[in-house]
Amino acid sequence: MEKKFEIKDLITVGVFTALYFAVTFAVACIGFIPIFMVFMPLIGPIFTGIPLMLYFSKIKHFGMITITSVIIAILMFITGHPYPIFIFCIGAGLLTELVLKAGNYQSIKSCVIGSSTFSLWLLGMVIAFFFGFRESYLNSLVDGYGQEYVDKMSGYTPTWVFFTMIAMCIVGGLIGGLLGAKVLKKHFRKAGIV
Amino acid sequence: MIEFKNVTFAYSSTDADGRAIEQGSISGIDLTIQNGEFVVLTGGSGCGKTTITRLINGLIPHYYSGTLNGDVLIDGKSVPNTPIFETAKKVGSVFQNPRSQFFNVNTTDEIAFAAENQCIAPERILSHIAETTRNMQIEKLLDRSIFELSGGEKQIIACAGINVLSPDIVVLDEPSSNLDSSAIMKLKSILADWKSQGKTIIIAEHRLYFLRELADRMLILEGGRITKELQADEVNKLTFADTERMGIRPLSLEDISFSRESSSNHNEMLTLESFIFTYKDGKHGINIPKLELPTNSVIAIIGHNGAGKSTLARNICGLEKKCKGTLTLNGKKLKAKDRLHYCYMIMQDVNHQLFTESVRDEVMLSMTDKSMPDEQKAQKADEILTQLDLIEYADTHPMALSGGQKQRTAIASGIASSKPIIIFDEPTSGLDLAHMKQVAVEILKLRDMGKTVFIVTHDLELILSCCDHIVRLEKGEAAENYKLYKDIAARLRQFFAN
Amino acid sequence: MELGLSSTSDKSVKKLDPRTKLCLLIAISLIMVGGKTVGVEYILRVICAAIPFVLLLTVRHIKSALIYVMLLGLSVFCEGSVIPNISGAPNLILMILCGIISRFVPGYMMGWYTVRSTSVSEFMTAMDRMHVPYFITIPFSVMFRYFPTLGEEYRSIHDAMKMREIGQSVKNPFIYIEYVLVPIMMSTVRIADELSAASLTKGLCAGGKRTHICQISIKFYDWLLMLGSLVMIVLFFVF
Repeated sequence: MEKKFEIKDLITVGVFTALYFAVTFAVACIGFIPIFMVFMPLIGPIFTGIPLMLYFSKIKHFGMITITSVIIAILMFITGHPYPIFIFCIGAGLLTELVLKAGNYQSIKSCVIGSSTFSLWLLGMVIAFFFGFRESYLNSLVDGYGQEYVDKMSGYTPTWVFFTMIAMCIVGGLIGGLLGAKVLKKHFRKAGIV
Repeated sequence: MIEFKNVTFAYSSTDADGRAIEQGSISGIDLTIQNGEFVVLTGGSGCGKTTITRLINGLIPHYYSGTLNGDVLIDGKSVPNTPIFETAKKVGSVFQNPRSQFFNVNTTDEIAFAAENQCIAPERILSHIAETTRNMQIEKLLDRSIFELSGGEKQIIACAGINVLSPDIVVLDEPSSNLDSSAIMKLKSILADWKSQGKTIIIAEHRLYFLRELADRMLILEGGRITKELQADEVNKLTFADTERMGIRPLSLEDISFSRESSSNHNEMLTLESFIFTYKDGKHGINIPKLELPTNSVIAIIGHNGAGKSTLARNICGLEKKCKGTLTLNGKKLKAKDRLHYCYMIMQDVNHQLFTESVRDEVMLSMTDKSMPDEQKAQKADEILTQLDLIEYADTHPMALSGGQKQRTAIASGIASSKPIIIFDEPTSGLDLAHMKQVAVEILKLRDMGKTVFIVTHDLELILSCCDHIVRLEKGEAAENYKLYKDIAARLRQFFAN
Repeated sequence: MELGLSSTSDKSVKKLDPRTKLCLLIAISLIMVGGKTVGVEYILRVICAAIPFVLLLTVRHIKSALIYVMLLGLSVFCEGSVIPNISGAPNLILMILCGIISRFVPGYMMGWYTVRSTSVSEFMTAMDRMHVPYFITIPFSVMFRYFPTLGEEYRSIHDAMKMREIGQSVKNPFIYIEYVLVPIMMSTVRIADELSAASLTKGLCAGGKRTHICQISIKFYDWLLMLGSLVMIVLFFVF
């Protein structure tokens, strides 16, 4: 059986997934401050885009970034995020695979776009807040507070907020990707590592 | 039996990652190693000894690519044509840097790792582990996090892993590089044990004194060729002059003589007072009520592992906020916060302190005087770079340089910072004779500039080449503090011989 | 983020199989977030909320258990008594906050328990038993191996920055990021290289079979708990 992945590839996946996760976590800690929490989908990808770009430069064939997204999904699940996270992570991962493949694993442009598509997994974290939360909670409120109240609550969490978050992920990812490309050029290419 | 038949290998200009690989190509190597032989490969940096070890354990060509000609055979089978996991059954490897050769976090898991990979039944592995633990007396090291262990303990775990799988051939690539003298003695006893078990051992090394009684043969390489081959009895007859000429480290600590002129006696003193610091675990730390040291000299900080050398260095530098003590320099009492402005450290891993995209920028980064215009800074930087033979690399990215060049870049940055105290943390780990001497020269240059230099080291030759003063730490306390001159060198040698 | 390392030697506590923990996690996640607060579901929710608390106590994480109970208790109290009595902006904020806490914290705590009580080798062995493919288990292994190293590298780089007196002002966060991330990224590449070479010489083979010395087995209390999780999930979907 042809082995699809070499040990070198798998170790690269492991190491960079760890780095990506660590940066995400570090940024998320700052996000605990309520003001910033809302902007996490924007700020997070800006910073995580940088190591992500280096990771992309090491990817030469299909499958590696999908593994990363699966691992992140599993990690998120293990730490208690509900199941929609799987859909978003793997979806974002596969989308990114296609983007990278389209660029033949060489093009910087496709890497930058890949940075934004990959960042979409963050939505998986908040999706439960919107759909799972809303429906059940609102339903439970009807008994206690009355329909009018529920309608008002519904008004506070409209779906447009969700779309704003999508936009934030994409924009943040693009910025992060561009920053990453700049860092790669300035340091890694010059040092001969890329 | 291992055979090399007219083997020539050159690394492709970039490795699998696209990085430029250092020198180390070999040509026309003809070699036969019998079962049970203990062969030492030595020579200056880039001579090709690492390349030979990589050909034996299969990393070349399965991991490092290049053009390979000739045959490399183990028991008649070609290594390049055998998948590397099969070669791993017969050949165990121990690397230079303990930090990055472990796949697992837990020590017991790591010891079992190679055996697990060969699909050996768990019960057998567990009994081998029990046996190895008894023989090596490593009960205390089992089931712990790799990250808690010292360098020497890590190497012991690496060797234990080999004992569990018990391959016939063991290949070691500069395993003593980061070890202090007592750890090296332990390594020596492990090697002796393997030899008595009949294993074939190939070890590439710079530091040879612990191998004298074990080597059956010593091969000296230069420029990729075997230039000299010595049998066991010839090895023992080598004198200091011989090894010096061959460019390798001395075979006996006794031979290293101290012949420098002592430095001047009229230095101002700096004083460490109430230097007390303990790590969070409560176990390690330093406790120095008072210590007086001469400025404008080269001071070696020595001691066994865990004695507190690095801790002391970090505290002198001001990196530990919780350190309550003071360092008095030129009449000024400096607290930890202040000491950051007076001390510059050359770290053991220089890669952690290089931040910019060119060597010149790196030097200029240290010039924190905001009133100086950039042009002036660049000019001053170039002056410093010329002094250290780095001027041709002024526009190169620091990470593209060799280890020694990176170290010099860090030293240049230190000079540019105009800080009076410079601290070196194990500057000569893994360096061959020529490079060690170079480091000694640079350190003396710093002293001549008026700086006070501290060196944390367990390299006796380095100390004898450039140090004026010795501080010996034991369990966090300053056990000895003396000036180094000819007659007292014996005291120093005795410490290293233990 | 080190997984509990000493748990293999901690014999005093009955060890749950990692697969059991996984089942419980799924159950708690599903029920806590989606469940209604009345009827059968309410009972399920109470059980699910209690499970992490009990488990945390079994591994002696008393502090976490207490914080969990306090947090949960506080938010339930607010939801019941405080919120209906105030209005306007504070009402909204409190409602969102308490809603989030009461729904997600049990899941997070179960996750926290899982991470702290499972050693890396148990985790990897469980994954192999569940036939998770090598291209997932090896990167996972490497990841856990690399996290502490990442911490060490960061601390060392941070020290170097302190010593060289750069990146201290918060004025330009991007410069700080560059100073920190670039050396870390370089180091990541280097370590990946060294780790790959070392693993290959120890016989690690992509897709190759391997044995495990770590013994995990599903005991009767594991079956019990897994069955219980299944029952809860079924009930959740039925009602």
